[in-house]
Amino acid sequence: MSIDEPSLARLMAASQRGDRAAYRALLGDSGKWLARYFARRIAPHQIDDLVQETLVSMHRKLATWDDSRPFLPWLAAIARYRWIDMLRRQRDEVELGEGDAAVGAEDEVVHARLSLDRMLTLLPAGQAQVITLVKIEGASIAEASQICGQSESLVKVNIHRGLKKLAQLIESE
Amino acid sequence: MTNGSIDSLIEDLAGELEPVRPRRLVRGSLWVAGGWLVGAAALLWLAGPRHDLADGAMMPPLPLLAFWLIVALGFAAAWSALRMGLPGVGRDYGGWRWAGLAALALPFSALVMAFGDGHAAMVAAHPENGRHCLAQGVFAGLGVGAALFAWLKGGAPTSPTRAGWVIGIAAGAAGATIVALHCASDDMMHIALWHGLAVALSGVVGRVLLAPLLRW
Repeated sequence: MSIDEPSLARLMAASQRGDRAAYRALLGDSGKWLARYFARRIAPHQIDDLVQETLVSMHRKLATWDDSRPFLPWLAAIARYRWIDMLRRQRDEVELGEGDAAVGAEDEVVHARLSLDRMLTLLPAGQAQVITLVKIEGASIAEASQICGQSESLVKVNIHRGLKKLAQLIESE
Repeated sequence: MTNGSIDSLIEDLAGELEPVRPRRLVRGSLWVAGGWLVGAAALLWLAGPRHDLADGAMMPPLPLLAFWLIVALGFAAAWSALRMGLPGVGRDYGGWRWAGLAALALPFSALVMAFGDGHAAMVAAHPENGRHCLAQGVFAGLGVGAALFAWLKGGAPTSPTRAGWVIGIAAGAAGATIVALHCASDDMMHIALWHGLAVALSGVVGRVLLAPLLRW
């Protein structure tokens, strides 16, 4: 089934009226759309979790869609909010020293990098480098420290500050 | 999507779907109007209206102009806050900033007047002469603040920080318009400083206290 705005808006309107079949179809299509949306923004191993979180948020905030407005900008706003929330959590994890995540296939890593590059250019070079190493390429704090010549605590501080700035940049877009 | 956990989540969510009543800005606007009326009724009942208004006369021109500037800021901020509850990428929630810029005419005018009459400025700035207006302004805005908070708590504000600021500014501006119906002072420096401070203080309170509560 193609994911087009008028179909999604019709499914959403039916869902607000309590039509479970329409809602099931809507969630399925939204899940596919979200997976593509996040694929350009986050590391591949995080996509499924973020899609699920966004679907749950969508479910909780169903009443906030106004049927006189298009559906996809509403879904994108919720997706972006969850994305920013994830960036904040990652920032907090860095503070707790839990920021070393593994990453999946190489081509997907490159894909995620391409659209993050624009945002990363807006950060100071030191912050962008350690975020790229740790959050996208899956290096540990210690490895990132060796590669970029920053102390481990400075790597953590730079990730923390960079993710905070990144969240602000996305929020203000 | 082939992920089994997502499919099972979709089944669960679809299974618990109930009809929902879409949130309408009209309903939120009625809440805000109700909040303003409650705040106005409470303050005017406790402290009474300005003597000229109570006698059926009009406010002098400058306080009247200040009143309408603050009304415009309150309207714009409340409308922006209401719209923040219904998210959408590409929607503009920044209309209140222009009203805020226009309202800055009040402190700027007061500053110019203060340069011309330093003694009057010192008298106006003395806390004895204005802190009650500040407290009353913050208190009278609580109705609008509560209405907007309830609206956004049930909505989906995508920037809780900004939403906290805007709720506070709307509540403070609402409170300042209510205080203007009570405060007998026609002094622009008093109005700009103490009534304006109610707006600024409410904005800070909204940012600090409400923003964390608006996360979802």
